[in-house]
Amino acid sequence: MFTSAKDKMTDQLDDPLLDVRNVSKRFRLHSEQQRSFQEIFVNFFQRKRYSSSKEFWALRDVSFQVRPGESLGIIGPNGSGKSTLLKLLAGILEPTTGEIVVNGRISALLELGAGFHPDLTGRENIFLNGTLYGLSRQEMQKQMESIIEFSELNEFIDVPIKHYSSGMYVRLGFSVAIHTEPDLLLVDEVLAVGDANFQHKCMDAIQRYRQRGGTILLVSHDLGSIESICDRAIWYEHGRVQAFGHPTDVVMQYLNNVAEKEEAVRSAAGKSRSVDQLAEGQRWGTGRVEIIDVKLCDAEGIERSIFLTGAPMQIRLYYRADKPIEDPIFGIALHHHNGTWVAGPNTDFGDLSIPRVEGEGEVVYHIPKLSLLAGGYSISVAAVNRSDTEMYDYHDRAYQFRVHTGNTRERYGVVTLGGQWTTDQKPTPRPNPRPARAVPVEKVAQV
Amino acid sequence: MQSNVLHHPSVPKRRMGGQMSLWQRISELYRFRDLLYYLVVRELKARYKGSLLGFLWTLVNPLLMMAVFTAVFTIITPNTTVPKYPAFLLCGLLPWNFFSAGVMTSIGSVVGNSNLVKKVYFPREVLPIASVLAQLVNFLLALVVLFGLLFVFQSDISPYVYLLPIIILIQTIFVTGLALFLSAVNVYYRDTMMIMDVVILAWFFLTPIFYPLQILPQSYEVLGFTLNIHRLMYILNPMASIINAYRDLLYLGTYTEIDFLLRTAVTSLVVLVFGYWLFTRVSGNFGEEV
Repeated sequence: MFTSAKDKMTDQLDDPLLDVRNVSKRFRLHSEQQRSFQEIFVNFFQRKRYSSSKEFWALRDVSFQVRPGESLGIIGPNGSGKSTLLKLLAGILEPTTGEIVVNGRISALLELGAGFHPDLTGRENIFLNGTLYGLSRQEMQKQMESIIEFSELNEFIDVPIKHYSSGMYVRLGFSVAIHTEPDLLLVDEVLAVGDANFQHKCMDAIQRYRQRGGTILLVSHDLGSIESICDRAIWYEHGRVQAFGHPTDVVMQYLNNVAEKEEAVRSAAGKSRSVDQLAEGQRWGTGRVEIIDVKLCDAEGIERSIFLTGAPMQIRLYYRADKPIEDPIFGIALHHHNGTWVAGPNTDFGDLSIPRVEGEGEVVYHIPKLSLLAGGYSISVAAVNRSDTEMYDYHDRAYQFRVHTGNTRERYGVVTLGGQWTTDQKPTPRPNPRPARAVPVEKVAQV
Repeated sequence: MQSNVLHHPSVPKRRMGGQMSLWQRISELYRFRDLLYYLVVRELKARYKGSLLGFLWTLVNPLLMMAVFTAVFTIITPNTTVPKYPAFLLCGLLPWNFFSAGVMTSIGSVVGNSNLVKKVYFPREVLPIASVLAQLVNFLLALVVLFGLLFVFQSDISPYVYLLPIIILIQTIFVTGLALFLSAVNVYYRDTMMIMDVVILAWFFLTPIFYPLQILPQSYEVLGFTLNIHRLMYILNPMASIINAYRDLLYLGTYTEIDFLLRTAVTSLVVLVFGYWLFTRVSGNFGEEV
């Protein structure tokens, strides 16, 4: 899948800014590697000299090119070799085989403020950090005012940075890095630092850098930022490229895969969140109506732990009442993992009257289009009498699920309101309509 | 961020994976010369932050040592008193301090800067070189004071004192070569530092710094071979030659033999080339080894 894209690209006139050719990287896992003469000496007598090193291929035969002005996103689970790849590109590691040709200056935002010295002032550290990226003193002098202004550290700039807060430290680090005006900016998750305000500023700076023709290679777990910044994406796993193309498609394929694997793990582990396993204090009530099971399902009624924004969802409550109970109310509380109480529907609000329950039965809450945005959520379930004086059974935030970005591009807040925008201006179609998806959302849940 | 030009024609095409040529490496090092400057500044500033006397320590330390050695030496060997012993000693001690401090601080320079080596690309040789240069700066400052003292002690400063920068250059080359070699080895074997502690101490006593070479026997018999100690000292120990040259110019007030100096220069260059060769051969792996 990769060679065809590459062939197409080589027809273009532009030289690639970055050319990665069949790069592999092997690490020796030397847990027992001799680190000192003493160990060598001891091991010599124990005849263990060559027993230790195991090999591990972090990358295998990776090839791709990045052209000036492009921005490429790399996604993949932890330990998939993404960071290794970035370090290779930055020149910190050397490939075991293959070749990387860089035709310009690279700045790597691998760790903001790497190389800052606590005893030097902010200003001195700007020089030190800038020259670390390969700039000259004059170039740094030219950028100085702009760097200080961006970092908002005006009054503290001549103070030794050991007196800085961690936020100030990061602001200065980002400010220097973005001002080094690299041809290629390598970004590794660093946008997740600083307060919301500064994160916004970083995003803004990165967008402006792109508009000036800058090239970005972004590695992130934040799939939303990959989709919003990048025009191509690579899904990278098991040391190999798994998918390559438009970010939305690649992200979708990746999410499907993640969901599949999580489901597989869950079904392999059997029913992990059995009602019996609820922790002390997580469940209370008189028990005259017991909620014996809760299932989070897709439209087909298959149990899931991952749902997509915009896709249908069912929450199924199974109850048992040993003696007949009149007019109970079943309800749900939905919390975001950050603590926000998002919603609290129940059968009463839903105008579903259940005159009497006896024995075992089922109550289902149907959500036609899930309006939650990406994130982690938990569900509490309750059975209560009509006058709200007797709690029969309550499971507090006992059932977890995740939502991944589906068909929406919204990524702020917790929910999408599903509204429509209009204007009194004559609307024009979007200049770059998104290409059709490889996988329609409706099918995702079935994969 | 005012410019719209993002392409830096000054930045050469960089090729990773294939070996960089020597010329590419040197031009890369040149591109990072300002980093070298700031690392030296950092090292000097960091060392003297919070100490009352600051860089004066570079001078106080040899002066105290001078006092100790003068006392001890005149007590141990009252017969072979060297004229103007303090001046004699300082002419050897200051270059020696440059040598030993240069070697010892640079050994740990790569390992000690692992936060940089793991996070940022730059030519790694900058680190040991910066350590050596920081010590060179200290040495040059100490030299200023040395000249003052030599004047006080009425030492015979040679008319050929203009050769001094050449000797300093030769010594710097020698120290840099050792620094590159040892700092690279230290990445793989952390014992290098401990071993060098002892080696430097032994080296100090084997070099005529606080004693004149003449107090050693001219020849010595081992297993039936007659060894010319004085000759061997100069052949095997470049520091002996270098310190000898300093003394010629600053203490004895004579001319220093040029062919002798030349041989020391060649030795130093060989050490530098070998150290640099070894360093560049293994420096690509520093990112995963430190």
